[in-house]
Amino acid sequence: MIGGVRARLTATIVALVMVTAAVLGIAASLFVDASLHQQALDDARDQARFDLSVLAPSILGSPPAPDRIPELAAAFRFRGLESIIIPPGGEPTYDPSSLRGTLDQIPGSVRRFVDEGQIAYSWQDVGGVPSLIVGGRSSGGGPAIYLVRDVSAIEQALGQLRLALGLGALVAVVLAVVAARVVARGVLAPVDEASRAAERIERGDLGARVPVTSDDEFGQWADRFNRMADSLEDTILRLEAAQAQNRRFVADVSHELRTPVTALVAEASLLRDHLGALPPAARRTGELVIQDIGRMRDLVEDLMELSRFDAAGEEVRLQPVDLGRLVRGVAAARHPDAVLELPDERVVIDSDPRRLERILANFIDNAREHAPGALVVVRVRATAEDVTVAVLDRGPGVPPDRLDRIFERFYMADPSRRGGSGLGLAIAAENAALLGGELLARNRSGGGLEIQLVLPVTEPLPDGDRAATHDEQPERR
Amino acid sequence: MDTRILLVEDDPSIREVTAIGLGAAGFAVTTAADGVDGLDRFRADPYDLVLLDVMLPRLDGYEVCRQIRRTSTVPVVMLTARADTMDVVVGLEAGADDYVRKPFEVPELIARIRAALRRAGGAAGETSLLKLGPIEIDVAGREATRDGQAIALTRTEFDLLLELVRHAGQVLTRDTLLDRVWGYDYLGDSRLVDVAIQRLRAKVEADPAVPELIQTVRGAGYKAVR
Repeated sequence: MIGGVRARLTATIVALVMVTAAVLGIAASLFVDASLHQQALDDARDQARFDLSVLAPSILGSPPAPDRIPELAAAFRFRGLESIIIPPGGEPTYDPSSLRGTLDQIPGSVRRFVDEGQIAYSWQDVGGVPSLIVGGRSSGGGPAIYLVRDVSAIEQALGQLRLALGLGALVAVVLAVVAARVVARGVLAPVDEASRAAERIERGDLGARVPVTSDDEFGQWADRFNRMADSLEDTILRLEAAQAQNRRFVADVSHELRTPVTALVAEASLLRDHLGALPPAARRTGELVIQDIGRMRDLVEDLMELSRFDAAGEEVRLQPVDLGRLVRGVAAARHPDAVLELPDERVVIDSDPRRLERILANFIDNAREHAPGALVVVRVRATAEDVTVAVLDRGPGVPPDRLDRIFERFYMADPSRRGGSGLGLAIAAENAALLGGELLARNRSGGGLEIQLVLPVTEPLPDGDRAATHDEQPERR
Repeated sequence: MDTRILLVEDDPSIREVTAIGLGAAGFAVTTAADGVDGLDRFRADPYDLVLLDVMLPRLDGYEVCRQIRRTSTVPVVMLTARADTMDVVVGLEAGADDYVRKPFEVPELIARIRAALRRAGGAAGETSLLKLGPIEIDVAGREATRDGQAIALTRTEFDLLLELVRHAGQVLTRDTLLDRVWGYDYLGDSRLVDVAIQRLRAKVEADPAVPELIQTVRGAGYKAVR
């Protein structure tokens, strides 16, 4: 499925871009985070060393004077630093005084290091502001000093960096989706083209081809597809031409035969009147000639009729048909002994009476040929949806596996039997199809064959009595 | 005097055997092998009936029929190859009275010829004058007039009109009309009736598209309305 391939391709590319962006973003933010903190720490430590070894002794004097501590705190404040200054054995000085609780929050390890005279630091939150606290002891037995630096600028910078990285990743993903679609379309375009071409061929447009736009695997594939379509088209056209030629030949043959057959039929009809005047041997021969001319006539007429169906030149003339009347008429002409089972009400349908007559006559002829002398029943049944005309005989029936073949041309259930053209039921089937109906055949229980013509009822059956008196304006416009 | 028939047929065998059969049945047959020849012979001598093949060299049967109809109401029977296509309708519209399908048996052809001749002979001795709306029908004179103006009807059209008017107000089925006008018992072609009714309406109705005198009764047939 093409949609599946497109989705998979897109998902893969997007996933790759997302993973790459995430790894790069996280690594960059970690690295910048670490280096910014390190930088701030280095600065603070250098500053602290200076403060402890130079600034504090110079302000406090030697030995350090506790009463000069506020002056030192002022000096720190002047540089933007908050401070806690704890003289040995004295009370801490907090500047500002809000730092009063902070001293206890400084980890014990830091304070121990400071008490031992080392410089120590701690990153921590002071009054809601991210801060770096650096502590140390002023040289020359001075006070312990903790300097508190506001490092929120670092956190802000990191936040902005992360936001930028996130947005960048988002843009990359969007670009990846677009790129993936473009690539997928490019890759799958030949497949789409081939799919459309195949669909057109399926619908009967044998000229459909795939454009060969590249020299790669797809191009070769399209070329192969086109060659397959060429050969398919060629074969189909040749078959169609052969079939058309075949049909034309049959039509021409039957057409050419008609004139001599017409002469023969007329001649035979005259000869019949004079059979009695012939010597016995010649008389029998004459009878056979007349009989065989009749067979030839049937065959030629059936062939002509079928070739007209093949030429699709047949038209249907619909008019109201009283089925009961039609059945009675055809039966009277073809087989007066047939038993008719007709509904009590009139059955009137819109159909082509000539074609109905033809179908029914062929049914009856078939029944008579296969069961000479046996009872033939013609049955008409009408429901709201369809009308069925059935002819039932008591002949040998047809083997079940060959039932559906009896409507084929020249199909003979019993090849040893002669009589009829072998085209009667095929002609009936063509006529039925033209009327929108269908033919069915089944073996009867107790032996014999039943052939049915089932016609759809396309409009409500007019009420018999009213139809006869209902005056209506002409059918022709 | 013998009944004279003009047979126009191009195939020599069919022409000869048909002529033999008709001759044996007592008709005087004159033959022609193509349309132009047939028309020449028709103009040269009077005939009681013309038997016309459709497919003729030089001038086809329809055209010959149309030419004959310009001057004559002689019964014309067409010999057509294809009974279930346009051939029949075109032939009837050209003015033919009836058609016989090829191949035909000679006795069958003779029966059709006799039926056509019988109709042409008319119901002699009848002197009544019938009326249908503005149309007056002189039965004996075999003439129909509208406001004193003669209407040119073929024999078949006249017989059809007469049959409908005699049973005015009554529905006549196509089969009944085929039987009474054309002399078919069964398996006649109902298109004979439909085409003839159409031609008749074109001549007698004020507006053939909205017929008032000869109406269609759907599912049944036709009736004349006085």
